[in-house]
Amino acid sequence: MTATQDIAISVRDLKTFFYTNNRCNKALNGVSFDIKKGKTLCIVGESGCGKSVTAASIMQLLPTLSRIEQGEIIYHADRGDIPLHALEKNGRHMRRIRGAEIAMIFQDPMTALNPVYSVGFQIKESLRYHMKMVGRAAHQKAISLLKEMGIALPEKRVNDFPHRYSGGMRQRAMIAMAMACSPKVLIADEPTTALDVTIQAQIFELMDKLKREHGTGIMLITHDMGVVAELADDVAVMYMGNIVEAGTVDEVLRQPTHPYTKALLASVPVLGKGRNQDIKAIRGSTPDPLNRPKGCQFADRCDFAVAQCQTMPEETRITPTHRVMCWRYKELVPNG
Amino acid sequence: MLTYIIRRVLILIPMAFVICFLVYLGLELTPGDAVSHMINPDAAGSMNPAQLEALRQSLGLGQPFHVRFWSWFTNLVQGNFGYSMSGGVPISNIIATRLPATLELAAVALVFSTVIGSLLGVVSALKRGSKTDSALTVIGMLGVSIPEFFFGLVAISIFALNLGWFPVGGRSMPGYVTLWDRLPHMVMPAMVLSIMLTAGVMRYARSSMLDALSRDFIKTARSKGLPEWRVNLLHGFRVALTPVVVLIGFRLPVLIGGSVIIEQVFQWPGIGNEFISAVRSQDYPVVMTIALLSVMAVLVASLIVDILTAVIDPRVRLGE
Repeated sequence: MTATQDIAISVRDLKTFFYTNNRCNKALNGVSFDIKKGKTLCIVGESGCGKSVTAASIMQLLPTLSRIEQGEIIYHADRGDIPLHALEKNGRHMRRIRGAEIAMIFQDPMTALNPVYSVGFQIKESLRYHMKMVGRAAHQKAISLLKEMGIALPEKRVNDFPHRYSGGMRQRAMIAMAMACSPKVLIADEPTTALDVTIQAQIFELMDKLKREHGTGIMLITHDMGVVAELADDVAVMYMGNIVEAGTVDEVLRQPTHPYTKALLASVPVLGKGRNQDIKAIRGSTPDPLNRPKGCQFADRCDFAVAQCQTMPEETRITPTHRVMCWRYKELVPNG
Repeated sequence: MLTYIIRRVLILIPMAFVICFLVYLGLELTPGDAVSHMINPDAAGSMNPAQLEALRQSLGLGQPFHVRFWSWFTNLVQGNFGYSMSGGVPISNIIATRLPATLELAAVALVFSTVIGSLLGVVSALKRGSKTDSALTVIGMLGVSIPEFFFGLVAISIFALNLGWFPVGGRSMPGYVTLWDRLPHMVMPAMVLSIMLTAGVMRYARSSMLDALSRDFIKTARSKGLPEWRVNLLHGFRVALTPVVVLIGFRLPVLIGGSVIIEQVFQWPGIGNEFISAVRSQDYPVVMTIALLSVMAVLVASLIVDILTAVIDPRVRLGE
């Protein structure tokens, strides 16, 4: 177990529910994980499994009809532990942390920047509110941020509007904005889904550099297993509002234990194996979130399901860092 | 930005010319000519056709179309709109006395409806689903759908006849000329004219604001830890403003040419009232001039809208 001072944010038994038409969607049903300082935690899972809700819960940016029902999100700040889940949504304390200590970048850089303000203006907004930096100093800081993110001619580009930036440049600008106040944690919600592959690699390289140079803890939401292998220190696999398996990147990728993780890894095509390779799509589809199975959420699609799977499995630790939510994990652990 | 404005103004010139031509063509295509309007039909029957022809020639009506158009157009450019058929007054005089009254009303209605309309629209959007929002929505729908003459009559009945707060109509009492004296006269027509416009702006501002607030950059702004007012006004309202400005801009010509009904209800001595009497007396030159004026108002309004949207939204500045 890592010492507490290395942890930036710890999430314990988090439950976030959505309410629509008097029905309740348990989007997050007891999620626990830690974001460590200077490490990357990748959260993987298919669409709708609760990855983005996790991010929104930490930032307290949940939509109106949802709320954190139970559990805690503790931000381990230098000035002491702060329970984020207990802070008022758009209150002063939460706003002080947002952007300054925990920053976020979003999926689609095309729409995440405000089209009517220059990129520089939007970077300077953060500086003004969190660092009390205005005027020439803020302008210089914005330029140096853009420069650090690898934008050519930052002195000129700082005054440009987002529509004159390409997709990759916009995401760089977004990262510049997020990094403006040197946050402790950077939450990236599928930051490269909207970008092409070469740009993806550049953006990830940039994020890795920030992690190394600034010691920023990164929570990266993705569904790209290649990215996980490349960037992650820790991995959490989510399925229908639960973390079904979590551990270090080696543990999860080399010794996948949960049937879902195995299935997920088996469904990744491998470059160079040709078109006849055996890609196993996971059979069935995700259950209706408003009408979930009672027990293990994956049971209906699982090749190893037994009668016991009709009740929710406990979280079990295989090693101090590797945990899994499955009744049959003992039989399924590779090499053991 | 300056090149953009200059370009837009230059585009306006050929458009204005074409419109003048079409208006003159319309005038040409109306049945009869100036002579048949000048002389009453009974007298015309007893007149010698040669005399009529001589009159035509003396008025320059015998000349070909393009020559007449050119002389009309050059006069127009110099501010000479011709003469009214009933009374022979120069039309420029009529416009000069009537237009200020209309503009006065239009300006008040425009400012009032823009400020109040967008304010209520934004409040409505920010408090979506609340009682305030529902109430404003209902009021807005009523304001848009009930014809303005009805509001005018109701206002006269309540505020002028029963309460006696404001005069029934007219622009000023004889002998009273200061703005302060005219103010009571202006309140009712300006407010009634504003109602429909305000309701429209409010509905539009609400939906535009809701649209802006649902966009991704609002979440970005919040994730930066900005206070709510800044998220809503600087990031939300600024983006929501563009369609509202377009709407208001295109209401401008309606206000200038189209406050006909309000001016009639309140006996307001403006262009609209003049337009009605000109149509009634078949005073084509006056009708045509007012039509031309309305069309020019549309052109100018669209120019203003284009410039304003370019100021508000940097993506529009294509000229750079």
